[in-house]
Amino acid sequence: MPELALAWNALATTWAVPAAFVGVAWGIVGGASPGISPSIAMALLLPFTYGMEPVAAIVLLAAVYVGAEYGGSIPAILIRTPGTNAAAATVLDGFELHRQGRGGEALGISLVSGLVGGLVGLVVLVAATGPLARFALAFSAPAYFALGVLGLSVIAGLSGKSLVKGLIAGLLGFMIATIGTDPVSGVARFTFGSPDLLSGIRPIVVMVGLFAVTELMVQAIEPPWAKAEARSARLKLPDWATWKRLFRPQALGAAIGTFEGVTPGAGGTIAAFLSYNEARRWSKHPEEFGRGSVEGVAAPECANNVVTGAALVPLLGLGIPGSNSAAILLGGFLLHGLAPGPTLFTKNPEVVYGLYAGLLVANVAMLVLGLVILTPCLWLVNRPKPYLMAFILALIVSGIYALEASLFDVGLVLAAGVLGYGLRYFGIPPLPLVLGVVLGFMVESNYRRALVLSGGEHAIFWQDPISLGLLVAAAAVLALSLRRELKLARAEHRPSS
Amino acid sequence: MVRRDLVCAALGLALAAAYYAAADAVPRSLLADAVGADGVPKLLAIALGLASILLGARSLAGRAADAARAEAGLLQHLRALGVAALGGAFVALAPYLGYPLTLGLLLLAATLYYGAAPRPRVAFYAAGAAAILWLLFARVLGIAMPAGILG
Repeated sequence: MPELALAWNALATTWAVPAAFVGVAWGIVGGASPGISPSIAMALLLPFTYGMEPVAAIVLLAAVYVGAEYGGSIPAILIRTPGTNAAAATVLDGFELHRQGRGGEALGISLVSGLVGGLVGLVVLVAATGPLARFALAFSAPAYFALGVLGLSVIAGLSGKSLVKGLIAGLLGFMIATIGTDPVSGVARFTFGSPDLLSGIRPIVVMVGLFAVTELMVQAIEPPWAKAEARSARLKLPDWATWKRLFRPQALGAAIGTFEGVTPGAGGTIAAFLSYNEARRWSKHPEEFGRGSVEGVAAPECANNVVTGAALVPLLGLGIPGSNSAAILLGGFLLHGLAPGPTLFTKNPEVVYGLYAGLLVANVAMLVLGLVILTPCLWLVNRPKPYLMAFILALIVSGIYALEASLFDVGLVLAAGVLGYGLRYFGIPPLPLVLGVVLGFMVESNYRRALVLSGGEHAIFWQDPISLGLLVAAAAVLALSLRRELKLARAEHRPSS
Repeated sequence: MVRRDLVCAALGLALAAAYYAAADAVPRSLLADAVGADGVPKLLAIALGLASILLGARSLAGRAADAARAEAGLLQHLRALGVAALGGAFVALAPYLGYPLTLGLLLLAATLYYGAAPRPRVAFYAAGAAAILWLLFARVLGIAMPAGILG
């Protein structure tokens, strides 16, 4: 087994192990800071890797990615602020659990589900880089459009009691996504002459505004908190009964995360939302979703951590960075004179197998550091409300400013908060809006590119087998959600006995 | 809730009309494809209009989506919006006063706004928290935070 020897050698003779721990710690801090995305956390470390040996440098950057994707769930659960795009789906049930005094349990589930996801992602990376990368290469514009439509079809399932309101929210999100430069012609749209809007509105700005700023506004009119019970302020790992319950959502998250991870451009956000929706559909307790479901935390957390491994498949196999984070990692490879792609396995196998081993250590580090960090985090959020709320507001304005050194973005996040408050007033769910913002650009740009390729013929969307399969899946998701809506409507109108 | 849904439907219709008009005003490029830069936005505007009409019709038919819940009064809504105003003040002042000072003032004002008693420890807290965030963002992460006219 020369591969195992190479992996062991990388761990034993380089700084890969300390790099994995440092990277995960840095990633958790970055992911937990609203406005610092995994790619930014990685980019900030990139210059420091220049003088490092290649294996340790690549492991360091990959470990930041692992830590940041996990770290995003901590503020999502504790302060209703998704630290990363992918953590937005965790907010819904994670924060509800925290509100019920079960924050420690939610963090424990998030940690173990993240670990399961990370290990599954690693297995996928090691076992399937070749064949899955070839599948990803078959994705064309119609397939990407269909993938986006599949993501949008989840809106129906996230709409709560009113499908119409969910649809309105999704359309609002899509409208926000159209702001900026047109993806095909380059014309400025809905920018009203502002150069700050030319590059569009970043989804993380909308998410932080909708979730965190809105929550800060609501908390300004809510009475003071009761002090949390001591047991709720401690990290609680799931017991055997909970583990059994988590198996199904974790399996769904692992499957969906694998598919989305190996597909360039899809990423952890779509995986998290799709997993959340499917976990609810297949759950024995769907009524608990949105009200504090342990499965609603496990599925998206598992999915977005699978993506951290699976997303490296197209990067290592083909040299295609499928996400911002993978692009930064590609930068790390290039900085050290390494070219990801099929030749990497023959020219620099020590880097490839060293990376695999380093990712394994990074996942163990995530568990260890998670156990150490989470209890202090719980203690922090149980501080008196005025101090905590003020700190969160300061953290948000600082973090959002840090994205692009732009006070305009800070204004946007506040505007998104006011919008979120308005949505709450009208009973409109925010999650479909988030999906619209995240997927809008992808759907529109690929729809139009596909039509350019086909000379305006819509038949291209069902002539492409991948596109057809994804559109059929989207139709199935919609049909099932509509059936559920009709059932609910009938139940409401049925005279009570 | 029925009345609220009707207001929501009216706002949705107004937004759809305004968005359609804005899409119609998007200049036509020589590089434009068959769909055009305004094609998808116009479709979205029409869909939003239809969804708003449907919501209005459903609320008139008495199908309120949500059960009645405790209502906040106008003063409470204004108080909630005050949080956004505090953030707005940060945006307005940071270019002049610089990041650390503006952030300290924001922390002080927000802590008091959320109900802390006006004691010296609030000021110490604001100064300490601002220093921590300044260290994290400006020093550790190396981000160029607003320097202000004195910086």
